Amino acid sequence: MGVIIGPRVIDAGASLFSVLISPVAVAAGFPSPAQDYFDGRIDLNAHLIKDITSTYVVRVTGSSMEGAGISDGDELIVNRALEPKDGSVVVAVLDGELTVKRLRITPTGVILQAENPKYPDIRVAALSELTIWGVATRCLHHV
Amino acid sequence: MARPAIMRQMPQIAHVDVNCFYASAERAFDPSLEGRPLVVLSNNDGCAVTRSPEAKALGIATGEPWFKLAPRAKEWGLVARSSNYELYGDISARVMELLGRYSAWLEVYSIDEAFLGVKGEPDQLLALGHRMKDAVRRSVGVPVCVGIAPTKTLAKLCNKWAKNNAAFGGVCLWDCVPPEARDGLMARLPVAEIWGIAGRLSNRLNGIGIFTVLDLVRADPVAIRDKFSVVLMRTVLELRGTACIPMEEERIGRDQLIFSRSFATPVTTAAGLREVLSIYGQQASARLSKHGLQAKVLTAYAATSPFRNHEQAYPSVCVSLPMPTADPLLLTKAAHALLPSIRDGLKYAKAGLMLTDLRPTGNQPPLEPFENPHEERRIGPLLEDVSRRFGRGSIGLGHAGIRCGLDWTMKRDMCSPRYTTRWDELPLVKAA
Ligand SMILES: [Mg+2]
Repeated sequence: MGVIIGPRVIDAGASLFSVLISPVAVAAGFPSPAQDYFDGRIDLNAHLIKDITSTYVVRVTGSSMEGAGISDGDELIVNRALEPKDGSVVVAVLDGELTVKRLRITPTGVILQAENPKYPDIRVAALSELTIWGVATRCLHHV
Repeated sequence: MARPAIMRQMPQIAHVDVNCFYASAERAFDPSLEGRPLVVLSNNDGCAVTRSPEAKALGIATGEPWFKLAPRAKEWGLVARSSNYELYGDISARVMELLGRYSAWLEVYSIDEAFLGVKGEPDQLLALGHRMKDAVRRSVGVPVCVGIAPTKTLAKLCNKWAKNNAAFGGVCLWDCVPPEARDGLMARLPVAEIWGIAGRLSNRLNGIGIFTVLDLVRADPVAIRDKFSVVLMRTVLELRGTACIPMEEERIGRDQLIFSRSFATPVTTAAGLREVLSIYGQQASARLSKHGLQAKVLTAYAATSPFRNHEQAYPSVCVSLPMPTADPLLLTKAAHALLPSIRDGLKYAKAGLMLTDLRPTGNQPPLEPFENPHEERRIGPLLEDVSRRFGRGSIGLGHAGIRCGLDWTMKRDMCSPRYTTRWDELPLVKAA
């Protein structure tokens, strides 16, 4: 495989790149891939997805999460790599199905909560009894 | 185990392999398949190409045609899926992207296997193996096993042990297996189970009294070279701990063609990568033609060098081709779908193409094999040349497209949704 680009160009590119990125990264306190390049258009992938490798998009069926602003037919962005915490909206495996619920971790046990009074909550003794498929980070709600 | 420090710091090779890949990819999005016997069928002929452990336990053999299994499926609770190469291609790319974060030296060996160069003390290597295994399971959703050893052949062997012995917990490090246990395990493994030893060769080995892996390890490498080949001698040396199988840049397997290279000098622009991908598309086309094959799904990927002092990126894209093809223009165009995810300024250290869902070219006249002197040189003029020929041959290709299109729709009836590549086929999650 031949050399694709001369060294001069690579150096120029690298220094330009570091000049562009560092002030933004320092000011924000964390590097955001979304801000590294400026081609004039908003790239939703860059803004909505933190780690593309561990992120999947799923579609919601049913209305048990209406109270969380998640409606039938909405899409959720789900990151499998995130640690589920108290309050996370999670996709859990229940009876062989992917199910979306609010996770509550309390001193007396773990609850998979519906966000709609018409639907029951599900209680388990410990988080280890659940299979959490991923943690929802965004809802693409149809307005 | 007391070893000199220099021995312990020798680079080792990790072999990572997804367990029952196609079946595991199906289960990742359909948990109802967990624990049930599952076979994944080839698109071409409806034969079982992947069996879940439960399906293996039923005595179902690789290659068994579905029409023979179907009558008993209900009684067994057996589920079948057609090969969903778009899904597998995307899951594969995710696995490789993730593994690329653990080593500067990654060789994508097949759709679900990779070799990685690793270094460290035994306990560090063991911990690394577990980190990789846990990360793939958690982040991507498929289970893997890891074998780590001084050579590729031993790393593959360790992976096999990790898969077959629950005691290893999914990660087997050669240096941590006591020598007498190694001998015991190798004495129980038929020689045909070793990487690179196919059926006929193992029969010939049996003929001279080599039945198990241990027999082969104890054979004289020079005698093996004289009776068989240099290739088999390398296997013996590798089994004895001497690394002699180099990194492969190109490989054609049962169901995939892989084309991947590391660059001597990083590529830092989309324009540079466009050129690289064009050459790969061209060369992949030549290899497909040479083997009389066409591909339906293409995965293109690139990776920055994994040194921590600059930003990392592992873009990849999975493209379903409009028809099974070996056409250089179509393959190159598909590979270029990666370009929008390439960011100027990052230092890309490698790129690759993986072609899956391979089918024989059939009775369509194959495109001329590109054993063209221009192949390794500038791609532009050659593509124009191809373009002219493509125009002339378009009636034949169109006809083939229609034929394969029909074949494709008919065989898709047991195919799961293309969960990760089609907006209208996303996985459904219940809010109930
Ligand atoms: Mg495998």
